[in-house]
Amino acid sequence: MGTTQITYMGLFLLLILIIPLMLMNKQLKLSLNKRMVYVIIRMFIQLTLVGLFLQFLFERNDPLLNCAYLTVMIVVAGFSALKSTGLSFSKVGIPIMAAFIIPNIVMIFYFNKIVINLASPFDARYFIPIGGMLMGNSLSGIIVGLNRFYDAIRNDQKTYFYTLALGATRSEALLPYVKNALIASISPTLASLETIGLVHLPGMMTGQILGGSFPIVAIRYQMAIMLAILVIRYASTLLAIYFTSIRAFNEFDVLDL
Amino acid sequence: MMLSKAIRYSNIHLKLGQKQIFSGFNLTINAGEKILLNAPSGSGKSSLVRLLLGFQKPDSGEIFLDDKALEKNTRHSIRSQCCYVSQDVDLPEQNVWSLLEHIFSFKVNHEHDLNKEDVITSFNALNLETEILEKNVKDLSGGERQRLGLSICFLLDRPVWLLDEVTSGLDPALKESVRNIIINSPKTVIIISHDEIWDHENIRKVRWD
Repeated sequence: MGTTQITYMGLFLLLILIIPLMLMNKQLKLSLNKRMVYVIIRMFIQLTLVGLFLQFLFERNDPLLNCAYLTVMIVVAGFSALKSTGLSFSKVGIPIMAAFIIPNIVMIFYFNKIVINLASPFDARYFIPIGGMLMGNSLSGIIVGLNRFYDAIRNDQKTYFYTLALGATRSEALLPYVKNALIASISPTLASLETIGLVHLPGMMTGQILGGSFPIVAIRYQMAIMLAILVIRYASTLLAIYFTSIRAFNEFDVLDL
Repeated sequence: MMLSKAIRYSNIHLKLGQKQIFSGFNLTINAGEKILLNAPSGSGKSSLVRLLLGFQKPDSGEIFLDDKALEKNTRHSIRSQCCYVSQDVDLPEQNVWSLLEHIFSFKVNHEHDLNKEDVITSFNALNLETEILEKNVKDLSGGERQRLGLSICFLLDRPVWLLDEVTSGLDPALKESVRNIIINSPKTVIIISHDEIWDHENIRKVRWD
């Protein structure tokens, strides 16, 4: 890849630009300096470690190792999803994991093997960034969707009961909440599809162009990944609602989480 | 469908928070009977209705509709024989006509056709303007919501009516005509109300402390 390297000197040249900011902060009595120093150091350490690790993964390019890496990402991501929804692990942990894992595995293979037709779908150069993007999006879709779904039923309990009393089955009564949760989940993706390229150049495309790809190649990747993201968010949100709702209600259709 | 059904609460125990609401509560309501639950607030009147609909579980005891006990497999069919109007008529917030379409789209309500004439007839009986069909439920006044809840009961024509404070927002003449409609109907009706209008010889009062 014919990218011009950024030297440590180059990084240092950017780092010294922070000094005027810090002076300004002091002048304005903005108590940001501590935090700025902390996050910048943190960024250096984090990215260096990730860089070293990815370098190692790319050099080895071992399908098993790549899979192991993605598995760790899945587990960490799954737990973070659970934590931010405030749902109990013993009750809906497995359903959420399943809703996360199944569509992601299917999509990663579909994308790498069928869409871009890689010799090995586990090739680190594709498997890791594409897997990461898909999983990140499916995760945030699941979080938004589940939060919206269960919060709405909780806040709207009387209306939900009224609908059941009018003769709705559980699925009939839940349908409006499913629709709203789905809209909430995919709206950010639809919004970014709308403005993509106009308001901002997406990170992946920028990265590819900097990495030496022609813009025309980069935009095709970008379009492909956006479509995959839309599908994965939709599918994993729907599955997450479906799988969790099997265990989230008692035998009389009352929410019991 | 039968015109009315009997309801039986058998040896109900229920504790809500720290408060023991029922310990060994029994009540039999005959088919076609009209019952006024007359007890202080907080004594579990609304709970009795929620118990029948399965939204609340008793700590022990059983509830029957005719001879069918309320349990997992009967909950849906029991709910489908009852028409419930809750205290605040918590209908989904949407346009009234699409709400009616929504309700009639439930599988269990398929035997009824929704047609505008029936809706207008039931609205007229309650002095309810047909213009509200175009309005959103959330823009209705309390009294309009109560009447909408009642007219849904008329339209669904189920054997049991569960009416929680449905006359509080109505004027005296309308209260009386609602009461008369109910007294003259063949339905089994449970009424929760503080309204004196329900003090009537054809309505059995059930009291407890």
